[in-house]
Amino acid sequence: MRHLFLWLLLFCAPALADPPAGYDFVDHDTGLARARAESKPVLLYFGRYGCAWCEHTNRKTFGDPEIRRIYTEHYVLVYVDAEGGRRLRLPSGERITEAELGARLGAYATPLFVFLTPEGRQVAKIPGFKTVEDFKAYDRYVRGRHYERQGLMEFLEGRP
Amino acid sequence: MRRALAALLLALPALSATAQWQFGTPVEVAPARPGVFHHLDASGRQALAVSGDQVALVWEDNRSGQPGCWLGIKPRGGDRFRESGFGRGECFGPGIAALDGGRFALIWEDADGVAAALAGPEGVGPARRLAPEGGQGALAWHPGLGLVAAWSQPEGRRQRIHRVPLAVEGGGLRRLAAAEPADPAPPADDQLHPALAAHAAGVTLAWEDRRLGHTVIYASTSRDGSSWSPAARLSRNPTGRAQNDLGRGTGAMRPALAAFGARLAAVWLDKRDFLSGYDVYAALSDDGGMTFGPDLKAQDSFGDAIAQWHAAVAGNARGELAIAWDDERDGTADVWLTWRLPDGGYADNRAPAAGPGSQTDPVVALDAAGDLHLAWIERDAAGASRLRYAVGRRKVE
Repeated sequence: MRHLFLWLLLFCAPALADPPAGYDFVDHDTGLARARAESKPVLLYFGRYGCAWCEHTNRKTFGDPEIRRIYTEHYVLVYVDAEGGRRLRLPSGERITEAELGARLGAYATPLFVFLTPEGRQVAKIPGFKTVEDFKAYDRYVRGRHYERQGLMEFLEGRP
Repeated sequence: MRRALAALLLALPALSATAQWQFGTPVEVAPARPGVFHHLDASGRQALAVSGDQVALVWEDNRSGQPGCWLGIKPRGGDRFRESGFGRGECFGPGIAALDGGRFALIWEDADGVAAALAGPEGVGPARRLAPEGGQGALAWHPGLGLVAAWSQPEGRRQRIHRVPLAVEGGGLRRLAAAEPADPAPPADDQLHPALAAHAAGVTLAWEDRRLGHTVIYASTSRDGSSWSPAARLSRNPTGRAQNDLGRGTGAMRPALAAFGARLAAVWLDKRDFLSGYDVYAALSDDGGMTFGPDLKAQDSFGDAIAQWHAAVAGNARGELAIAWDDERDGTADVWLTWRLPDGGYADNRAPAAGPGSQTDPVVALDAAGDLHLAWIERDAAGASRLRYAVGRRKVE
């Protein structure tokens, strides 16, 4: 029975495109529901299938054990396929596709990282490859709720 | 370099062709209502069609409390669309194809899977079920070969494009054969978002294909309605690992097809310039969809530094070809338009739908007289959406 379950998990579950290995990335609606239930912020990873800079970020940044610990413990992790056709539900109730979310976010490059409050409000949007230190700073900004007082760039310019 | 090019273009006298169409006052097809969201997201962006004296538009909105599909139809000279709902339960992604004599065929995804029906001024006919699961349906009607439907459906952990020939009989549709995969080879990865077009030589089907580890466009053509050419790659967005052995290739998504004169155009969103979002690319076929020429950027240089979305294409028997999309080059999202020039290039871009708020998700149809029919979604700053339609009358030269 257990083997059957594993087989179903491996071969029948819809494939997520390219999230980093070793992280519990889930789909958009599952993640936003989990964030509300657990009162955790969301890191939404908007990645394109086959994207070189996404792979670079997965290796260089998400491969770091400290980043894995911080983001696994304190965030709900959501992966959205930038070219995907799966439907998701926005906090407004509107149903759109994954690719349409890119148009709404004004995504011009992948990866795109979006931080959301547990209620689904966007507090930061960061395109392109980012380092381990960058992601540690984003964590301080989001979990410190600095977005209530200042923008991300303002916060980063003042960081030690 | 881009700034220098833009400055050079600004300094030049007006060398571009004059606008091909003069657009009239837009008609509100579906009004803004609190909590109601309108979507024009037919696969291949085939949501608007003209047949005989009738203009028809299909869309999805949630006015009933759940996503539902709607047909709006009006005489060409009329100013109001008459609405009919269709689909069972939640309904998504309705698409349309023009038949003859003011009739249309519709396709959609609902609670029972993928379905199609005939439609006309009298409303929507009985549904013909095509697949128990799936979505992203597209249609094309050929006067000699009949109707072809295509959609994406789950197969194991993959999505696979299927197609089926249909006969138009009285007020309904009949399957002429069992549905078949667009590519008989077992799918190595997902196949999504089909687009169909009928042309003088037959019917061509294009779709997104991830077999190479990134998204590219594939196509297949039938000359007789029953046998199809082997699936062949259409888009030439680069495949292969980038610097430092990273990635698998850039993306090409959401193909759309249209016949114009004796030729066929394929249009899609292409991310080969991966720093500035998707661009609108087009490739043309001179041999009825068997092969396509080089793919070229259809937008002008003023759109290069920003992302383009929702590319749609329309053609007619006169040989005219129009391509529409939305982008934010002027600060907010507007609908932009280009058309193919006699010298083989594309005209400088014009914005037939612009202004406060955002104007997005264009769908287009070119009628036999050369008039361009355009529908789009307008959103205000508060996020309320409405559906608009306008006709661009062809300028007399």
